This record gives sequence, structure tokens and C-alpha cells, in this order.
Amino acid sequence: MGHFHHVGMSMGMSSGDDNSTMAPSHHHPTSSASHSHSHMMMMMPMTFYFGFKNVELLFSGLVINTAGEMAGAFVAVFLLAMFYEGLKIAREGLLRKSQVSIRYNSMPVPGPNGTILMETHKTVGQQMLSFPHLLQTVLHIIQVVISYFLMLIFMTYNGYLCIAVAAGAGMGYFLFSWKKAVVVDITEHCH
Amino acid sequence: MHFIFSDEVVLLFDFWSVHSPAGVALSVLVILLLAVLYEGIKVGKARLLHQALTSLSISTSQQLIEETDQHSTSSDSPHVSRTRLRWFLCHFGQSLLHVAQVVIGYFMMLAVMSYNTWIFFGVVLGSGVGYYLAYPLLSMT
Repeated sequence: MGHFHHVGMSMGMSSGDDNSTMAPSHHHPTSSASHSHSHMMMMMPMTFYFGFKNVELLFSGLVINTAGEMAGAFVAVFLLAMFYEGLKIAREGLLRKSQVSIRYNSMPVPGPNGTILMETHKTVGQQMLSFPHLLQTVLHIIQVVISYFLMLIFMTYNGYLCIAVAAGAGMGYFLFSWKKAVVVDITEHCH
Repeated sequence: MHFIFSDEVVLLFDFWSVHSPAGVALSVLVILLLAVLYEGIKVGKARLLHQALTSLSISTSQQLIEETDQHSTSSDSPHVSRTRLRWFLCHFGQSLLHVAQVVIGYFMMLAVMSYNTWIFFGVVLGSGVGYYLAYPLLSMT
């Protein structure tokens, strides 16, 4: 059964009523604050729980009420976390492949015995308006959004969904980084 | 919601609720150690990968030397399967470390979300101390 703790004091309900229905071990710092009229009634749990009744997920229309819906949400969150790990690895690979513009510049430096040596600096980079960099930017935005979604999912404090995030991240890392590591092993010696 | 200095905090689990300065101090210490562990895991993953790659390249070069010496391909299949198994186990261990890193990272985020300023200081200080202790180990080998 999910436990929802009322955070702060609600209007029209006495604090005695609140304490009698909630778990007695819960104390929130703001309940001792004097400005009670400025607090809204929030239904956000602040400790981990396992349940599938009335679980709001990210969007206002998305509420989980049955075990079947929770199973579907578990699979969806698992796949989202896997996709996030894959996106990270794909961006790394794309960056490495697109760094084809190499700039050499040589400069004279004084060497031993008064001779002049030519030191060559090599810089790799991308042009700002090139297609690879624009693609990287778009993928970066997608990555940031998905990472915030995963954070918000973890913030529901629902045990099933948190396990889905962690397991999806692990499986995604295992599958995608395996391939990347094998490629790195063959093509690069000084990684 | 805003950051406050408070003597009471509930962190992560139902049983972890403290109401006294001593309890908050202990909670801050636990969170600090968790943050140090997080930084340590990050460095540990990188070192494990480095160790695996160096040992893998050593074993494959040994295999090549043996092949050119013996002029036979019948002896390389146990070498290949052993290397593959070692690589698989190493990568599986790294994935477990990755899961631990993800979970601890989220726990630290939720601890900061308690909006208790002492806990926040613990997270920040722990990250700093962890980085200071762990990152020199990255370039040690």
C-alpha cells in the first residue's frame, strides 16, 4: 500500500487530524514553521515505498492504478533508462568519428645547445556550423531531457520504478558499453 | 520550498528519521561517506576498464607470438575462449559497479531534495573529499 505523507499544513484541516492518519514517525521540517498559510497541500512521498495505487508518473494524465499498468510502466522506464545509456555511448562514438578536422601548427622553440627545434601542436575539433556538431547538439538536448525525466521518475520514490531505472541503466551499460569497449580495444591502443 | 537549517530530517527510508542534532550530525556523516564512495566508484570503474584492456592486449599479443612460433591454429581456440570469458566477467563486474553508481547518485539527489542545509553541505563536502582522495588513483598505474 502506498503511503503518501502530507507535506506542510493544509488549509481547513487541523494538524491533529493529519498526525492521526499518517505514520507517526514522519516529521517534516516545515511543519514547525510559523507561516502555515503559504504552504500548499502536496501529495509527494518523501520515503521509498512499494505500491501501485494512484501513482502519478511525470504527466498529469498518466496515473497508475493497477498491477498491470505498473508492469507496463516498469517495462517503459526500463527501456527509457536503457535508451539513455545507449544514447550516451552513441554520442561518444559519433564525436570520435566526426573529429576528422585536424589542425597542425608548428612553432619554433629553443632546444639544447642553442639550436632551434620545431614543435608541432595537433588540435582536433569540430567546426561550429558543421552537421556533426549540430547533430551532437540535438542529441545533447535529448540526453538532458531524458536524464531529467529519469530523475523525476526516481523522485516518485516508488520502489518498483526506481528498480526499473537502476536495472535499465545497468543493462544498457552492459549491452552498449560492451560493444564500445570491444571496438576501442581493437582500434585504439592508447585509450 | 527552500533550504532550511533544521534539527529534524527524514531521509530516503521510513526508518531513517532523526529529531536531534546528534542524529542530524550522524546522518550528515553517513551522507558524506556515501558521496566519497560515489567518487570512488567512478574512479574504480575507469581503473577496472584500464586493467582489463591492458591485460587483454597482453594476452592477445602473447597469443600472436605463440601462433607465429608454432605455425598452427589448433591451439588458439582455448586461448580465445579464455580471453573472451575473462573479458565477459570483467565487463559484468563493471556493469554492477555502474548500477551501484547510478543508485548512489540518485540517493544523493534525493538526500539533497530533503532541503536540509546540513545534508546538502554533507553531500558537497563528501563529493569534494571523495574527488580529492580518489582521482590521484586514476593516473597511478
